Amino acid sequence: MARVALDLPLRANLSALDNIALIPLYQRHYGADESTRQARAMLEQLGHAEIALLRDPDMTPSQRFVTQLARALILKRPRLVIDRPGAMLYDVPYPAFIGQLAAQAEMTGIWEIFDFSWNQALYQA
Amino acid sequence: MNFLAASIESLGAKVAGWITVGYGMFAFLVQASLLLLERSTWNRATYDVVIKQIYFTAVQILHVFLGYTLVISWLIITIILSTARDFGLTEFASEMTIRVLVLELLPFLTALFIALRSGSAINTEVALMKVNNELDALAHCKVPPMQFEFLPRLIGGVVSVVTLAGLAGLLALLMGYIAIYGGSTAGFEPFTQTIAKIFDFRIVAGLLVKCVLFGLAVTLIPVTAGLETPKKLFMVPVSVLRGMMRVFFAIVAIEVVSLALKYV
Repeated sequence: MARVALDLPLRANLSALDNIALIPLYQRHYGADESTRQARAMLEQLGHAEIALLRDPDMTPSQRFVTQLARALILKRPRLVIDRPGAMLYDVPYPAFIGQLAAQAEMTGIWEIFDFSWNQALYQA
Repeated sequence: MNFLAASIESLGAKVAGWITVGYGMFAFLVQASLLLLERSTWNRATYDVVIKQIYFTAVQILHVFLGYTLVISWLIITIILSTARDFGLTEFASEMTIRVLVLELLPFLTALFIALRSGSAINTEVALMKVNNELDALAHCKVPPMQFEFLPRLIGGVVSVVTLAGLAGLLALLMGYIAIYGGSTAGFEPFTQTIAKIFDFRIVAGLLVKCVLFGLAVTLIPVTAGLETPKKLFMVPVSVLRGMMRVFFAIVAIEVVSLALKYV
């Protein structure tokens, strides 16, 4: 299971691209160039290629979320859990934003959102 | 009676704390050493981070470090030469210069320099990584923090201290020669003979071991101190303070033991 959560932050001194590229670099032992290419492709797939060189402190909450999501997606685990998205995405109407990203990501596995029950109305809107 | 019991308890707690810290550092070093022997450690990613660490620790500060070495060496050589002249011991000036500067003072100052610049930064960064859960996030992504974050810092620290101390020593030798013999080549033979007499295998090996231990002290101690930080942001300065005090005591202890082994 891959998680996107507030308690799994990005490495602060790395760019969005480097944070994502770490996964193919260390897990699948690709070279630096190929890992960076895969990371860039993932950001492009999510429609946020422009954030590639930003570091965590320079990102908006939604940009940070996209990077965390890209890092989780590149793990290629069968299940993706987004844990309390409201805590991370306080600058956008998040159910719609996540829906948009899910449509772009063309992910084959299962996406699950864990949220507080009182936020249920937001998803039905 | 109560005061005595409280004092003994407090002392016992301190000793137990020191033993725990010492064991933690030793266990970390063993883990890092074992990882060094694994083939999977030596991938392109780790190699790249090691190169980056060496660049940030040694190459980036090279001009400042060489300038500082130049000034310190020049001052010490001038003091040694004028004192040797006053006492009629000019023939021992080159040996004294090499022993004081190249074998003792410059490696010690190099370690202090790296400790203040990089050791404190490493301690702060690791403590912040711990507090911000970044290490947990790396573990969740199956990126080993030891290979990606810690081992490159240890290797970078050791390589940097050894090379910078070596460079400083070479610069001091050159300055020592110029200060004693000027531009003349006449002093080349006696000077190189003095160098050969001092630098036997035991001394060179001892110098190398001392520099490696200095390199480990300025990186291993800050990393482990950072990892001990409780997950509270206000504890980061306390962690750096503790780490840097331990680094200072470790550097002094290494130097004292090295001097005792050589001269006592």
